Amino acid sequence: MIHVLLIIFLITLFYMAIANRLMTYIKVLALQGVLLFFVVFIQLNEINTLNLILILLETIVFKSLAVPLFLGYLLKRNNITREAEPFLPNFVSLVITTCIVVITILISNTIIDDHLDKIFFVVALSTLFFGLYLIATRRKIITHVMGYMVIENGVFVLSLAIGNEMPMLVNLGIMLDIFASVLILGIFLNKIGDVFKDVDVDQLSNLKDY
Amino acid sequence: MIGIYLLGSFAIALSLFFSRNKLLVYTLLGLSLLVQALFTIYAGFHAGEIELIYFTYDSLGMILLVTLSIIAIPAAIHSYIYIENHKENPQARAIYLSSLVLLITAISAGYLSNHIAVTWIFTEITTLSASALIYHHRNKLALEGTWKYVFICAISITFIFIGILFLSLSLQHTGSDDLSFKNLLARSNELNPVWLRMAFLFIFTGFTAKLGLVPMFTAGIDAKDTAPAPAGALLASVLMNLGFVGIFRFYIVVANTPLLHWAQLVVGSAAFLSLFVATVYMLKVKNIKRMFAYSGIEHMGIVMLGVAAGGIGYYAAVLHVVLHAFVKSSLFFQFNQLYRVFQNKSIYHIGNYFKYNATGAMVLLLGFISTTAMPPSGLFVSEFLIFKSIFDTGHILLLVVVLLLLTMIIWSFGKNIFKILFIPVPDFDEQNIEIIKPWESVSQFLLLATAVYLGLNPPPFFVQLLNDSVSLLPG
Amino acid sequence: MLSVVLIIIAAIFFTGIIIRTKSLASGRKGPGILQPVHDVIRLFRKGVVYSETTSFIFQLAPSVYFASIIMAMLVVPFGRSGGVLGFNGDFIFFAYVLALGKFFSIIAAMDTGSSFEGMGASREALYSMFAEPAFFILMGSLALLSGHTSFQEIFAALHIGSQISYALAALATFVLLMISMIENSRMPVDDPKTHLELTMIHEVMILDNSGFDLGLILTGGYLKFAIYGALIVNLFIGVIPYEYAIPAFFGIQFLMAVTIGLIESFMARFRMSHNPQFIVALTSVSLLIFFGVLLILQKFM
Repeated sequence: MIHVLLIIFLITLFYMAIANRLMTYIKVLALQGVLLFFVVFIQLNEINTLNLILILLETIVFKSLAVPLFLGYLLKRNNITREAEPFLPNFVSLVITTCIVVITILISNTIIDDHLDKIFFVVALSTLFFGLYLIATRRKIITHVMGYMVIENGVFVLSLAIGNEMPMLVNLGIMLDIFASVLILGIFLNKIGDVFKDVDVDQLSNLKDY
Repeated sequence: MIGIYLLGSFAIALSLFFSRNKLLVYTLLGLSLLVQALFTIYAGFHAGEIELIYFTYDSLGMILLVTLSIIAIPAAIHSYIYIENHKENPQARAIYLSSLVLLITAISAGYLSNHIAVTWIFTEITTLSASALIYHHRNKLALEGTWKYVFICAISITFIFIGILFLSLSLQHTGSDDLSFKNLLARSNELNPVWLRMAFLFIFTGFTAKLGLVPMFTAGIDAKDTAPAPAGALLASVLMNLGFVGIFRFYIVVANTPLLHWAQLVVGSAAFLSLFVATVYMLKVKNIKRMFAYSGIEHMGIVMLGVAAGGIGYYAAVLHVVLHAFVKSSLFFQFNQLYRVFQNKSIYHIGNYFKYNATGAMVLLLGFISTTAMPPSGLFVSEFLIFKSIFDTGHILLLVVVLLLLTMIIWSFGKNIFKILFIPVPDFDEQNIEIIKPWESVSQFLLLATAVYLGLNPPPFFVQLLNDSVSLLPG
Repeated sequence: MLSVVLIIIAAIFFTGIIIRTKSLASGRKGPGILQPVHDVIRLFRKGVVYSETTSFIFQLAPSVYFASIIMAMLVVPFGRSGGVLGFNGDFIFFAYVLALGKFFSIIAAMDTGSSFEGMGASREALYSMFAEPAFFILMGSLALLSGHTSFQEIFAALHIGSQISYALAALATFVLLMISMIENSRMPVDDPKTHLELTMIHEVMILDNSGFDLGLILTGGYLKFAIYGALIVNLFIGVIPYEYAIPAFFGIQFLMAVTIGLIESFMARFRMSHNPQFIVALTSVSLLIFFGVLLILQKFM
């Protein structure tokens, strides 16, 4: 079942590569949060209340509700147009995303390790690289934040891949870290929206060497 | 003690954040400096002890902690001058000082932590507090700089975390899950090399955002440019050292595994690329503050070349980091005075500084000599030792290229500095320029002198500490 | 032999059902189920008009096209009974014999010298080209999973048991359905109802065909639908006995026709520039199927 969920997770990446609208990105992010919740939920060996609450908080409440709502609020507040405006055509994005997935599969095929669940590894690594790709090829600043969230989802899957029970404290730390980052990025995005006319990366080129 | 220190400093930062009264604010700032000094002295008397599981007063941490505590004092003084000069409103002042204290505290704790995850957490805190400092001016440029800094640092922090995940995977093969540097070092021969490689790549890439190396150096440049000069001094010196600590401590672990040669290659090529990039930018840069920042990239490139070369290079690298912190912070402090005279950052609008502020001009001249590692400067010693270590490894060609790049840097640095010092700007209005009081430059002279003293005639305990901090490295 | 009979029966009703569904969905009564067949019979009775600028290729193409579809039909199995032909690697034969027919219809369209038809031909060629890897990766994965290389053996050996194989079957159905939509120039990629030559793909290619030739092409289209439907049916029926398999065949074909009708009623055609990325997405999805197959086979752990 976990495998099914993870394959669906990969399909969401493909969908994100060809999606045109920012709202679609946000919905996909929310969906990824739900998928991650089920993955963790199934993987749990024993259900203990504290763990369950933490996971619920991290995936459903945070990844699927708080961040998407916040991003939607940012969209609305800054009057960001609904198109994603990639630098490359979606077709190329899709081909590159497919290449990323294939390459990570090939990479992970060369690794022999009992401590690692390979499919998690593949999903984690391709999500990570896809996030970086998303950041590099979209014109709007808010898509950078979304790319960052995609990377964070990849890291989440990676920490599942390693399977080692990370100390609760570290887990909590990560959650706060993501939360703080997204919040701060969002606040500054608002400021950028107030100061600049357009929320494009092209606007951020005033710092020069001369 | 470190618990009390952290709690105390955080409490001070918090109360600073809510204080609007001028007297109270500066009292709190002084108090935080006092706490910092007391903590440093305490740490000095308890060398080698472990506190709260995650903190050790080891030699490397101690050296850098003392450096930080010394630089923190002029940073506070210049922040005071800066704030009073700009007549900042109480709210901006409170946020600025509170972030300053938080930054200093987080850097101290980051130096002393013996666990990579704890270093990671404090590095994150420095990002948050530094971003508040960078955004101090609340204008377009500050916004742009802050956004870039926060974003790149967020990505880097994530990278470090991925590296930590890989590291724990690598450690699982030894049946242990304790990620402290000591445990890693003890088990360095059992670590799985594949995952260790991945871990090193990600952690190294992540920390380069703080250290200022290729590939993540860009954010730091914009940050130092847009932050107020006293805060920029901290970003350009002690915060870079935090990145150095993160990489160096982990490098010690990797160096004790069969991956040493590979790690040398990675670090060496990143360092060489940084040097190259710094040269290219230095040749065309017209913004003085950014020029200082690029010079920092160059120095960190040299430092990491020393680390990659090994041998005497390790010793020289740590020494260079310390001396560079003193020199670069004094240059940034001086920049503020320069800016007050000319109200401009561009080389085209700055000139004949000796005429308007002779003391400050002396600082700039001495700072230039120090930064470019000309003989009386302490950096000459460390840089010379690093070149010697590269020579020892037999990479003569690399050394020649590095020296060529450095010559170009010195040329362009000197060209700009002498333009600032002696060549008058055409139609410059001399009527309303601000007179800078000579005492404001005293701290900078002291910092530069410290660098010379530590470099040319290092006291025995300092040498001892330096040797201790690199003693775990092979060769 | 059974498969050929069943496919022909399904083909008679298939297009009629689609048209009926669309009429009902838009609130009309619509023509009878057999109306497409009547149309074709009427066309078969007519003579043919050839443009003076065309060559023998234009006259040859409809026959080749129709023949290629008949050939493809022969290798499609039905449950336990294989196709009329059936050999190792017949799924490659299947794909390329259809491609041969498509090739002829493309060069026939070029032969007329009409700019519209050339444009339609180029689009058709592009989309078939993108759809080809998806089909082969999908069939290749299924071949790998079952360890056989002919349609009949592959489908007979498929065991849908674990959860992941359910997911893969669902994905495979989706990909096959979408490939059949592309190959038959139906909705999300092409709109058969469109009246503007600029937006047509398949329709514009056969503008110059008339009478008997047009009848052949239309019949070929109906058959093609039923062939792909039969492939999807085969994914599910495996080796179950005929008394269940035959109703299942018609049930699934009917369901598929209704689904297509509903899709066409409620969806707009993609923008022309979005088509390639949609079709390549099918390739990406079939790559994931391949990945899943590797997981099932424990080759990747």
